[in-house]
Amino acid sequence: MSLDKSKPRAGKDTQQPPLDFAVIRRVFAYTKSYARLRNTLILLVVTRSIQTPLVIWAIAAVISGPIARQDPHGTLLGVAGFLALAAFTEFCFIYRSRLALRLGEAVVHDLRNEIYAHLLALPMSFFKRTQIGRLIGRVTADVDAVRVGVQDVAFVSTVQGGNMLISALLMLYYDWKLFLVVLTMAPILRLMIGHFRVKLSEAYRQQSESFSRVTATLAESVNGIREIQGFVRQDVNGGLFGQLIYDHSKYNMSSARHSAVFLPLLEFNGQLFLAILLVVGGYQAIGHDVPLKALIQFLFLSNAFFSAIPTIGNQYNQALTAMAGAERVFALLDTTPDWKDAADAIALPPLDGKVEFREVSFGYLPGKTVLHEVSFAAEPGMTVALVGETGSGKSSIVNLAAKLYLPNSGAILLDGRDIRGVTSESLHKQIGSVTQDNFLFSGSVLENIRLGRPQASDEEVRAAAAALGVADLIEDLPGGFRAAVGEKGSGLSLGQRQVICFARAMLADPRILILDEATSSVDALTEARLQGALAKLLRGRTSFVVAHRLSTIRHADLVLVLAHGRVVERGSHRDLLAHGGRYASMYRQFVSSIDV
Amino acid sequence: MSDGPSRSSRDSARLLRRLLALSWRYRRECLTVFGFQVVLLALGIWGLSFSGIAIDVVRAALQPGTPGARWPLGLAPPASWSPRHELLAISALVLVMAATRALLNYSYSIAVGKLIHLKLVPELRTLVFDKLQRLSFRFFDENASGSIINRVTGDVQSVRSFVDGVLLQGAIMILSLVVYVTYMAHTHALLTLACLFLTPLLWFATSIFARWARPAYAKNRELVDEMVLAMSEGIHGIQVTKVFGREAFEYERFVEKNRAVRDQQRRIFINVSRFSPAVQFMTEVNIAVLLFYGGWLVAHHAMTLGDLIVFAGLLQQFSSQVASMAGIINTLQQSLIGAHRVFEVLDAPLGVETPAKPVALGKITGRIRFERVSFRYSEHAPEALYEVDLDVPAGRCVAIVGVTGAGKSTLLELIPRFHDPSSGRVLIDGVDVREFELDFLRRNIGLVFQESLLFKSSIADNIAFGHPHASREQIERAAKIAGAHSFIVSMERGYDTVLEEGAVNLSGGQRQRLAIARALILEPPILLLDDPTTAIDPETEHEVLEAMSSATTGRTTLVVANRLATLRRADHIVVLQGGEIVERGTHEELMRQRGLYYAAAALQAADPESIALLEGFRGTA
Repeated sequence: MSLDKSKPRAGKDTQQPPLDFAVIRRVFAYTKSYARLRNTLILLVVTRSIQTPLVIWAIAAVISGPIARQDPHGTLLGVAGFLALAAFTEFCFIYRSRLALRLGEAVVHDLRNEIYAHLLALPMSFFKRTQIGRLIGRVTADVDAVRVGVQDVAFVSTVQGGNMLISALLMLYYDWKLFLVVLTMAPILRLMIGHFRVKLSEAYRQQSESFSRVTATLAESVNGIREIQGFVRQDVNGGLFGQLIYDHSKYNMSSARHSAVFLPLLEFNGQLFLAILLVVGGYQAIGHDVPLKALIQFLFLSNAFFSAIPTIGNQYNQALTAMAGAERVFALLDTTPDWKDAADAIALPPLDGKVEFREVSFGYLPGKTVLHEVSFAAEPGMTVALVGETGSGKSSIVNLAAKLYLPNSGAILLDGRDIRGVTSESLHKQIGSVTQDNFLFSGSVLENIRLGRPQASDEEVRAAAAALGVADLIEDLPGGFRAAVGEKGSGLSLGQRQVICFARAMLADPRILILDEATSSVDALTEARLQGALAKLLRGRTSFVVAHRLSTIRHADLVLVLAHGRVVERGSHRDLLAHGGRYASMYRQFVSSIDV
Repeated sequence: MSDGPSRSSRDSARLLRRLLALSWRYRRECLTVFGFQVVLLALGIWGLSFSGIAIDVVRAALQPGTPGARWPLGLAPPASWSPRHELLAISALVLVMAATRALLNYSYSIAVGKLIHLKLVPELRTLVFDKLQRLSFRFFDENASGSIINRVTGDVQSVRSFVDGVLLQGAIMILSLVVYVTYMAHTHALLTLACLFLTPLLWFATSIFARWARPAYAKNRELVDEMVLAMSEGIHGIQVTKVFGREAFEYERFVEKNRAVRDQQRRIFINVSRFSPAVQFMTEVNIAVLLFYGGWLVAHHAMTLGDLIVFAGLLQQFSSQVASMAGIINTLQQSLIGAHRVFEVLDAPLGVETPAKPVALGKITGRIRFERVSFRYSEHAPEALYEVDLDVPAGRCVAIVGVTGAGKSTLLELIPRFHDPSSGRVLIDGVDVREFELDFLRRNIGLVFQESLLFKSSIADNIAFGHPHASREQIERAAKIAGAHSFIVSMERGYDTVLEEGAVNLSGGQRQRLAIARALILEPPILLLDDPTTAIDPETEHEVLEAMSSATTGRTTLVVANRLATLRRADHIVVLQGGEIVERGTHEELMRQRGLYYAAAALQAADPESIALLEGFRGTA
C-alpha cells in the first residue's frame, strides 16, 4: 500500500475527442468481407426505424379513430392491422439484432487475428519498449469497445434517429403548429443533456481515478502480504485503506448526486411538455382548430420523439468510447516494424557453426549505444563465455547472434555469410536457447519440449531428456512427460522448468546454442544436478554462455570480458588468470568471498 | 472463477440467508428508500390519469353525448368551470405533481446512493480487506492476485447489488405490479384480466431464458479466457516464439481459439435475438386485446376514451416491470457468486491467533528449537516438513540448503507463526511460539525475503515500515548497520527519496540492504533471511553479504542460502530434502561427507588450478 495518500493525477485532459470519421470509415471497411450480411442489416435498420413509430401511430390511430367513433367493426380491423404490423416489426427486430451481433463479432474476430499476426511479425525491439499488459488490453478492452460500436451504437442510434424523424414527420402531418410547440422543448432537452453529460463524465473520471488508487493499493497489499504480516502492519494498513475507500465513496456519491438531479429533471421535462400540450392542444381542440384525433396522436408520438433523445445521448457516449478503442487498435496496427528481413534474403544452408562479429555496434534505443565495435570469431564447436557486469552488453551479443535485433553498424557472419542476407526463420531453425526466464507455455511437458522440433515423436522427446541425464527428473512429475504445465509454468518449480528448457534445446539439436543465465535462478543442489546436462548440451555445438557466476565458465574455449559495451579482455580462463587483468581481479574477489 | 452453475441449491439457500442477514443490518435505510418508492408510485399513477381526464374533457366538450371525465378522489371541479378552465387546472396539477415527483425522485436517489456508496460498500470493503490481511499466506498462494483484488472490488459490488438490485428492486417490482393491477382492476376488472392473461407466459419465457443464458455465457467467458491466454502467452514468450521460429504455430493456435469464441457466440446470438422481440410482441398482443375489448367497452359507454388511454399507458409500464424480472434474476445470480467469494474470505479460519493467556517475557534472548516438527499445508497434502529437530543457540547462525520445494521457506515461516506445525513444537527461549502474543512474537523477529517488496513511498517510511513512529535517528541507525546509509545520503533527497513502483530506481543490492535495515528497525534478537542474495547481480552481492554479516552479529539467524559465500559464513549448515534434514554440520564436516552439499559447494568453489594461477600471478607481481 502507498504509505501516503497519493494525489490525483492532474493535467489529464477531460476533453473527449469529437467523432472522427476517418476512424469510423476504417472500422466500416472491415465489414467489406461481410457485404451481404451488412447490406441486409442496413435494409433491416431502415425498415425498423420506420416501423417502431408506425406501431405507436397505429395504437393512437385505433384509439382516436374507430374507438373514438365507437365503431366495433372498424376497431376489429384496426386491431388486426396493428397486430400484423407488430408481428412484422418484431420479426424484423429478431434479424436486426441477430445480424448486428453477428457482424460485430465477425469484425472483432478479424480484427483480433490481424492484431496478433501483426504483433508476431514485429521484431523484439518493439516488445522491449512496450508494456505487455497494454498489448493484451488492445485485444480485450479496446477490441470489445469496437464490438459494442459495431453491434450496438451504429444500429441503435440509426434506428432511434429514424424514429425521431418519422415521429416528427407524422406529427407535422397531423398539425404543424402543435409540432412547433413540441420542437421548442427539444433545445432545452438537448442543452440539459449536454450539461449533465459533461458533469457526469467529469465525475466518472474522478471516480475511476480514485478507484485506480484503491486497486493499486490493494495490489500492493496482496503482493506485500508477507511484509505486512511479518512487520505487524495490519492495523496501520487497514486505517490507510479505509481512508482511501471512504475517499472513493465520496466520488461515487458525487456522481450519484449528479444523476439524482439529472434523471428526475428529464422526467419533469416530459411532464412539463405534457402540461403544455394539454393546455395548448386542448384549447385548440375545443376551438375546433385541432382535431381530437391529432391531440391523441401527439400524446403518443411526442413520447416516442422525446424518449429517443436520451438514448441517442447515451449512444453518443458509447460511440466515443468505441472510437477511442478503435483509434488505439489502429495505432497498434499501424506501427511499422523497425526492420524486416531483406527482400532478397535466402534460406540459410545447414551450418558448420562459425560465428563472427565484425566491428558490431548496437543500441536498443537511438543514441544509447550498448555495444561498441565488438569483434570476435568463434570456430565451430567452440564454447564462448561472456563475462561482465550487468549492463555491460553480454545479453545484447547473444540477442544479435540470434538475429532478434540487427546491429546498427558492423556485420555478423555465420559460416562467413552476413545474417542480414538470410531469412530469420531459417536462421532460427539452427539456433537454440535457454534463458533465465525459462518461459513455458501452458499445456503438457511433452508439448513444451517438442517446441524445439514440432515433428518429433514421443520417443525422440524422451531420448533427448535421457541424453541429458534428466529423464528421471521429468518422470518424477505427476504424470511424467504428460504432466500439466500451468500458465507461466505454474505447478513446476524453477528447477523443473529449467530442466524442460534444457530438454527443449536438446531436442531442437541446434548448431548454435545460447545459454543466457541458464542456471542462475536455480537452487544450488539443482544447479549441481544440471551441470552434467549442461556439458552434454554444449558438446559439439558453437555455444554462447552468459553467466554471472565465475565458477561456471572455466571450461570455456574463449572468455570475452565486457565492460561498458566493449570487449576489454579475451582469451582462455587460464590465460586470463595468468595475465592478471580485470578478469583475474574479478576472480580474486570471487575467491575471497567464498573463502572465509 | 472456480464456482460454476454446479453449486448445489442448498449452498445457494445458505448464501441467500446470509445475504438477507446482511441486508437486515441496513433495514432502516432500506425502509426509507422503499417508502419513497411507495409515494412515488402513487403519484405516478395519479399523474398518469390526468392526460386521460384531459382527453375526456375535450371529447365531452366536442361531443356532448359522450360520458364525461372520471375525476379521481372526488376532485371534480365546480360545474361552473368551462372546459378550458378545467384543462388549465389539469395542466397545473400535472406540473405540481411532476415537481413533487422530481423532488421525491431526487431524495430517493440520494437515499439509495448514501446507503450504497457511503455505508454498505465501504463498510463491507473495510471488513473484507481487514480480514484479507490477516489470512494465511496459503490463501495468497492459492489464488491469483487478480482474483484476490476482485474480492474487495467487484465481488463486494456484487454483494451490495443484492441489496439494491435484488431486494429493493424486487420489492418495488412486486409493489408496482400490485398497484398497477389494483388500479386497472378498479377501472375495469374483466378488461384487466383479459389484458394480463398472457403475463404468466412472459414470466415463464424470462426464467427459461435466464436459465439457458447462464451456462452459455459461462462457457463464453471460458472460451474468451482461453483465447486471451493463447495471445498473452505468445506475447510473454515472444523471445522463445521467435528463437524457435514458432510464429506460424502460435498464430494458428490463436486463430483456432478466436474462431471457437466466434462460433459459440453465434448460438448465443440466435437465442438472444429472439428474447427481446418475443417479450415486446407479447406486450403488443396485450395492447391489441386492450384495444379490441376496450374499444368495445368504449362503444358501449362502459368506459371512457381517456380511461382507455391511461390503461394503455399502465399496460406498458406493467410489461416493463415484468421484463425487469430477468434483470433481477440475473443480479441475484451474480450476487450469489460474489457472496460466495466474499464470504469465503470472511469465513476463512485465521489459523494462527494469540492465545487467551499469552506468556509474558520481558526480553527474548533468541534460542530457537524445533522439536520433531512436521507440517503439511492441508490434510491431504504431503508433508512439507517431517520430524525436523534443530537447535539454534542464541546468537548463532544456521544456513539451510535444499532444492526448491524442499521446505526451506516453510521452516522459516513456522517461527513467526505464519503457519503452525501439524505436530511437534517450535520453541523460543524454551517457550512454545504458540504461547506468545502474536504481535509480540513477530516484533521480535526481523525478516528479509528473497525479493523484498518495497513500497511506493519514501526510503525513511520503508525502513520504518514495522515501526511507523520510529525517529529519524532510529531509522539511520538501522540503515547504518545494513550498510545502506552511505548510498541513501548520496541521493538528492536522502531519506525522503520516494521509491518508484518495484523500487526500480535502486539496484538489487540497494533494495536488499534497505530490506535488511527494515528488518533491523525494531532491533530484533532473531533474524530470518530467506535467500536474500539470489535475485541480485553478483557485482552487488558482496555489498549485501557485508550488510548481512554486520546485521547478524549478536542475533540468532536462520538463513536460506544457495551461494557458497553465504554458506561459508554460517556456524552450522543443514541440508533439507523432501522436508527432512538429510545432512547437517559445519561446512568442513559436510565437505568431508561428500554428499549433496559437497556436490553443490564444489561446483561453486574455485578449483585449485585457478587459485594456483591466481597465486602464481600474485607471486610474480
